[in-house]
Amino acid sequence: MICDDVERDLDLYVDRELGPDSDAVLRQHLRGCVACRRRVVDREAIGRLVRSMPYHPAPDRLRVHVLTRSKRGRSRRTALAWAAAAVLVVSLSTGIALVHSSRAAGELGADAVANAVVDGHVRSLMADHLVDVASTDRHIVKPWFLGRLDFSPPVRDLASLGFPLVGGRLDYLSGRPVAALVYQRQKHTINVFIWPASVEPAAAGPRFIRGFNVREWSRDGTTFWAVSDVNDVELTQFVRALQES
Amino acid sequence: MPPRVFEEIVLPHLNAAFNYARWLTGNDEDAEDVVQDACLRAMRYFASLRDDDARAWLFAIVRNTWYSRLSKRSRGGDTAPLDDSGDEPPDNQLDPEALLLQRHAVARVRAALEQLPVDFREVIVLREIEGLSYKEIAAIVRVPIGTVMSRLARARDRLATMLTASVPLMERVG
Repeated sequence: MICDDVERDLDLYVDRELGPDSDAVLRQHLRGCVACRRRVVDREAIGRLVRSMPYHPAPDRLRVHVLTRSKRGRSRRTALAWAAAAVLVVSLSTGIALVHSSRAAGELGADAVANAVVDGHVRSLMADHLVDVASTDRHIVKPWFLGRLDFSPPVRDLASLGFPLVGGRLDYLSGRPVAALVYQRQKHTINVFIWPASVEPAAAGPRFIRGFNVREWSRDGTTFWAVSDVNDVELTQFVRALQES
Repeated sequence: MPPRVFEEIVLPHLNAAFNYARWLTGNDEDAEDVVQDACLRAMRYFASLRDDDARAWLFAIVRNTWYSRLSKRSRGGDTAPLDDSGDEPPDNQLDPEALLLQRHAVARVRAALEQLPVDFREVIVLREIEGLSYKEIAAIVRVPIGTVMSRLARARDRLATMLTASVPLMERVG
């Protein structure tokens, strides 16, 4: 190593960003080179000076404002979930039976995903961001996902069965980007979240979470989750139509 | 597992976000506006926070917020007004002469930092004050790691030149 190499790697060295081999070589050179040791000392001194600057802490007013907005946002979300639950109570009274699932223990993973699915559904309704691509044409929606995801979700239109396609959206669930397909049933929205299956799925049963019906299935190595405030019978029809199409 | 709560995960990084914004904008009022807007955005996109690095995530949002405000105002952000240097909390351990020297040192470093182009200034702040790695900085600033490295090197070269200039910096800018 020559002094020009130290010049080149100086910042990497003081920032501890050199690989272990290069770091050892540079250290070896420093032991025998006073000029380069001086360079390192000068470089480190600049960092110390910058760090000696007084920190600018956030004003209390800002902290209070952010805290207030955050709490208000959460209570609004809760209110929305309760409103959806109320709608379902009405459907119950018209004679539609809800199938409640009693899941065995040891399915925490799937339960966490189910909760994330419901969160994703609520978020899509709240944030005025239901679809990224608005189209009833699956030949437009399906290619839209190309290049945005590392898989290609199957897209079907079920308008003839009373579930028209509204569009598609990118979403994040359980730490990965997923495809969200949006269908309509009268005034109700159905979100279908799709991603490649990572584990063999457990037997799928209907779930009812925070006022929403949730269904899960997989097919051809792909996981599907459907969530909506439509009643369980209609969601069952929808899922069957999607599976058979 | 209880749902993640915004104020428990993001709010602990509010000081860091404000300090970063303060160095981007150059003044308290704009920094406060930027961080406030950024936090509202962060709440909206909270669900997209995948890993545990809420700080880097918040920095990226602060930066985007600031840049979108800048483009709305269509003005450059490199010429931040220089602050009065007399507001540093005095270190009572020092005698008056040392105190004066300390104040001048802080004012000098601050003036030098504020004279840096903002692209250089922010990598210095993220590296030296926040201690982020090149990789983390690259993700926030959205440039290749090599660019982070060259900006840091050039920023330090300029700081070194300014801080060792024969004419005291305060006399030139103050």
